[in-house]
Amino acid sequence: MASINLQGDTSGSISISAPSVAGSNTLTLPATTQTLATQNALGVRNLFINGDMQIAQRGTSATGVTTSGYNTVDRWRVTTNIAGTWTHSQDTDVPTGQGFTNSHKLLCTTANSSLSASSFIQYQQKFEGQMLQHLKYGTSSAESLTLSMWLKSNKTGTYVVRLFQTGNNRAIHKTFTIDTADTWEKKTLTFTGDTTGVLANDNSSELEVNLWLVAGSNYTSGTQDGDSWVSYTASNTAVDLTVNLADAVNNYINITGVQLEVGDTATPFEVMPYDMELARCQRYFCSSFNAGVAPANGVVASVASIFSAYDNTTGWSAWIPLPVKMRTVPSMTAYRDSVAGTDGQWATYDSGYTTLSSTTLSPGGTDNGFYCNGSRSSAFAAHDTYLLRGNFTADAEL
Amino acid sequence: MYKLIKDSISNEINMVRRLSDGACIPFAEANRDYQEFLAWKAEGNEPEEAE
Repeated sequence: MASINLQGDTSGSISISAPSVAGSNTLTLPATTQTLATQNALGVRNLFINGDMQIAQRGTSATGVTTSGYNTVDRWRVTTNIAGTWTHSQDTDVPTGQGFTNSHKLLCTTANSSLSASSFIQYQQKFEGQMLQHLKYGTSSAESLTLSMWLKSNKTGTYVVRLFQTGNNRAIHKTFTIDTADTWEKKTLTFTGDTTGVLANDNSSELEVNLWLVAGSNYTSGTQDGDSWVSYTASNTAVDLTVNLADAVNNYINITGVQLEVGDTATPFEVMPYDMELARCQRYFCSSFNAGVAPANGVVASVASIFSAYDNTTGWSAWIPLPVKMRTVPSMTAYRDSVAGTDGQWATYDSGYTTLSSTTLSPGGTDNGFYCNGSRSSAFAAHDTYLLRGNFTADAEL
Repeated sequence: MYKLIKDSISNEINMVRRLSDGACIPFAEANRDYQEFLAWKAEGNEPEEAE
């Protein structure tokens, strides 16, 4: 083994050793003045949550999508306006040899080859400001960000990625090309830090990463505004986009291995254990349904809580804890059990099931649980215990 | 369309139900569904009264 020995100014030394291996290997260092971290600082470097598309609490497939929303894969939002009809799915098509098991697929099922001025599709993730303070935006020390991702599409051409500061209305963009149809390609883009826009240190959306897939003239009729941070101008947003992913049925794009990290160098994708990634996703959305089961009425209840009636009226309340503290007080939706009931209503059980006549899931101003309030036609027996069955979703997404 | 909801304990109106899917939306500034409700209301719409 050969070594280079660096002697300290006063004492001590550091040795850099090359192992005895065949061939010539290259270790590339970042082109910047930095400290090379060798312990502790390398973890949780991906700002994206669920970048390998392994968590899909809302289900694994959504058809007939024509509007914006979170469908299937957690944390990834597709904003859509007048741009055809789509199927979103958690797919098993992945780049070979990279260790991924899932990708997120958008498949066009009804085309729009003649876009309206306001047509668009963006593939998007939003970030809380309090998760980004280490970027030091708004200071002379603002950090660069490097985006890396794997993509596959039948549509070759130039695509646009834009970072957008929600609170400051500032943006920066980069382009990349999909060179070969139906082939997985890895793309890497580096964005300079913004020395002007200060990101609020709270739980609001302060930064978005938007991959533009479709854009009408409202977003392409301006001028290319360079690749530095500027005040946002809608017409300049996607000037370089040469693709209309919605122009034919069966157009598609698969995406996985998406990573956004501080610095100017893309490191290997950071694999998070399933349980850790699930918990991170649950800060924004959680449900009582099993993994991959789309929330719906008539699914076997995962919430089976026992409560005691405090008097012999027909109304009651039971407290159900959430698995993690959520980003904010969530919106709650109730689903009926598989055994009995009316859609949207939970049921109680003592000697038999009784469907509630009103179910209200109330977080009561908290981000860590909710009351199930309800009433039924027959009175409870004071101080008797009852089984409560139903499912829920809790939504605190950005 | 929305309907106001009273909290069963405090008896105060602190949520609104979205009638399209039954979601109970808290009056929380950081909740995006609540912001959508406020935008809907700002257009001149009014929710149904609570029972």
